[in-house]
Amino acid sequence: MITYIIRRIFLLIPVLFGVSLATFVVMHLFTTDPAEIILGQHATVERAAALREEMGLNKPIYIQFGDYLSGALQGDLGKSVITKSSISEELIKRFPATVELAIAAICIAMVLGVTLGTISAVKQNSIFDYGTMVAALMGVSMPIFWLGLMMIIIFSVTLGWLPSSGRIGIGMQPDNITGLYILDSLLTGNMESLRDAFEHLIMPAMALGSYSTAIIARMTRATMLETIRQDYIRTARAKGLSETVVIIKHGLRNALIPVVTVIGLQVGSLLGGAVLTETVFSWPGIGSYVVEGVMASDYPRVQGAVLLIGTIFVMVNLMVDVLYSYLDPRIKHM
Amino acid sequence: MLGKRSVALLLALVFITSMVVAGCGGAKSTSGPSNVLVFAQGSDPRGLDPAYVDDGESAKIMTQIFEGLVRYKPGSTELQPSLATEWSLSADNKEWTFKLRKDVKFHDGTPFNAQAVKFSIERQLPPNRKDDMPYAEFTFDGITKVEVIDEYTVKIVLEKPSAPFLANMAMCLAAPIVSPEAVKKSGDKFIENPVGTGPYKFVKWDKGQQIELAAFEGYWGTKPQMAKVVYKFTKENSVRASDLMTGSTDIMDGVDTNDIKTLEAKGMTIVKSPGMNINYMGFYTYKKPFDNLKLRKAISMAINRQYLVDYLYQGNAELPNSILPSFIPGYSKDVKPYDYNVEEAKKLLAEAGFANGFEFTAITYSNPRPYNPVNGEKLAAAIQADLAKIGVKMNIKSYPWKEYKKVLENGEGDAYFYGWIGDNGDADNFLMLLETANIKGSLNSSKYSNAKLDQLLDEGRTNLDLAKRAVIYGEAQKLISEEAPWVLISHSIDMAAHRPNVKGFQLHPVGVHWLDVVSKEK
Repeated sequence: MITYIIRRIFLLIPVLFGVSLATFVVMHLFTTDPAEIILGQHATVERAAALREEMGLNKPIYIQFGDYLSGALQGDLGKSVITKSSISEELIKRFPATVELAIAAICIAMVLGVTLGTISAVKQNSIFDYGTMVAALMGVSMPIFWLGLMMIIIFSVTLGWLPSSGRIGIGMQPDNITGLYILDSLLTGNMESLRDAFEHLIMPAMALGSYSTAIIARMTRATMLETIRQDYIRTARAKGLSETVVIIKHGLRNALIPVVTVIGLQVGSLLGGAVLTETVFSWPGIGSYVVEGVMASDYPRVQGAVLLIGTIFVMVNLMVDVLYSYLDPRIKHM
Repeated sequence: MLGKRSVALLLALVFITSMVVAGCGGAKSTSGPSNVLVFAQGSDPRGLDPAYVDDGESAKIMTQIFEGLVRYKPGSTELQPSLATEWSLSADNKEWTFKLRKDVKFHDGTPFNAQAVKFSIERQLPPNRKDDMPYAEFTFDGITKVEVIDEYTVKIVLEKPSAPFLANMAMCLAAPIVSPEAVKKSGDKFIENPVGTGPYKFVKWDKGQQIELAAFEGYWGTKPQMAKVVYKFTKENSVRASDLMTGSTDIMDGVDTNDIKTLEAKGMTIVKSPGMNINYMGFYTYKKPFDNLKLRKAISMAINRQYLVDYLYQGNAELPNSILPSFIPGYSKDVKPYDYNVEEAKKLLAEAGFANGFEFTAITYSNPRPYNPVNGEKLAAAIQADLAKIGVKMNIKSYPWKEYKKVLENGEGDAYFYGWIGDNGDADNFLMLLETANIKGSLNSSKYSNAKLDQLLDEGRTNLDLAKRAVIYGEAQKLISEEAPWVLISHSIDMAAHRPNVKGFQLHPVGVHWLDVVSKEK
């Protein structure tokens, strides 16, 4: 197992290299010259050239990439060319916001998805089943951006229940321990902040988790349907076990293995979805940081953030693979 | 195993229940205490060091923190004293002497004096100037020396006389005076820890979320009305509008035209201000076919500009009669552009030797710009339809903004779409766009050259009497209008909205606002 994990970690290197290279090339070829953005309408050809020289942007692209890589390997992701702030510092500051949002979204997706999927399977062809599957289809098809805006109109503007944007109210920030506001509020016993952070978190998490909820519900239903027809389920029932124990202990546990794969893969779509969700809800995480970076042609910012997202994605996939053998001892990683 | 699952299910149940409880917790309509003002804008500022930024989002916040030697009057770009109480000019019009206010302190407690002025300017002059100081060259152009005469008197020596120099000192970018001690202490980080003399001092910046400012107790002028100001960053215009309606913010800028009705229906107040810019179609006057004045006139008269303002910009723009926006000192309301007249246009076309019409190519940009929120492509398409009516076929070639400036510099096509955002509110800052000296580079893209106009601009720069400058610039505007190197399409209008209990909020035409005069009723 250990060898397997180490081998997988080594595989990170080519993957992250590829991700960095792709981002680097796309940013340098298809976005506005940052020198022009910094200098605005007073950018003459000479001034822009001088600034590009100073920023090292007139070197051949492979040398720039080499410089970037050697910096990144030493943990230095450089400075934003537009705001001059350190990328690593910014990412550290914003990372907890995205983590909090993604955890909330995946929790919602797992709980709702698995519950709805299981009940749908047990009550196959019932109204509940049809209703859930139609809702799941909508969840898969609805763009997060649109869903987010609709939620804001309904729950903030019309009903006035939830705040429409941001991560916490003015002056409500809990003392910083982990950067996760919910956790920090709990740790410091600040119930007002907890409530406020919760209220801010609900809509973005729901919007972000909608797609994953739908996917997980459909997957759970499908695998559960297959599982409850197995002989050992019939045996369990024949032994006289209660239906709840049969479904949850014998059915769900076995049905969950493919579902865990899907949940693992959903982390990727959550990180992608975070870009849109964070933009709609002005959530100050990595997603909105990337969007602002792309808009401003801030090369180092986008490269740094994509590198971080890529690393997380690969690590989560690794964790999912490891989790398999825990859930199903028949699977062994050599 | 079942135990773990039960715990997980229980946790999930708690999570969902608390969400439901929170959801039913009643209306969210508080923007904090009544002594906190929340202003929502689209994004974080690039930074808060006046020397290193040139974006509007930064300018708005820096205006609360910093002050310059002079400042604009409300609603116009006329100048009035600020950190300087009075100023005088030497006989050769090259040496500006400023008497400074004596009771001023920076937010860090250090005194404001002539040394601070010298420091603020000299950090942006060669050899200290850095390539990424976007406005240093423009603002401090031609300064040869900054001399401290005494503690509260400073002399700025220019290479040659320049009347617009005083307007530069009022700019919200580059010109504001910074605390020398704070710059030395913070170094590179001053851009995130600004220290000025303004009514509000910087408290903290939560990137991607908000910037907090607090009233500066030691402010020399009238104390600000609010104890705290929070700039909140919300990217989506519609979400910003929702925030305003729910009461979680007090003021928003960047109002979408489509949201105006909804905002007004909810009792919000819409604030408008003319923008300091010009949106135009330019002709390359140095080459055929538009070296022909009659042809330029014909095209100008064939374009229904009022229709463009009313429908393309949905009334959220002003129809210009002059290249200058109306609030700029020197603006002349007597200038008459060539008005829409299809018959006259056809006649002029025939006189120019194109009785059967002709074909030309106009280049344009595909991105929206501050002076043209619908983008250059749509504007060009609307004009193309107008020109077809007089038998002129306009081919449109569109480029993304990234490439556009380069294409423009190369003089591609016969005509082009472009615009200008004013810098300092001085008439010269607009009129110089047609000066012969600015043909090099992309400022005077028409490559229009007129000795008479050049002479008038020179006179305007060396003449410091406002009334005389107005006469000179009136003549220049008339000349430009008659020569028609550009078809003036529109001046954009800036919009903001605020809650009904907010009092005293005004947008300034240079694109900023002063929040020290804004209050909030309970």
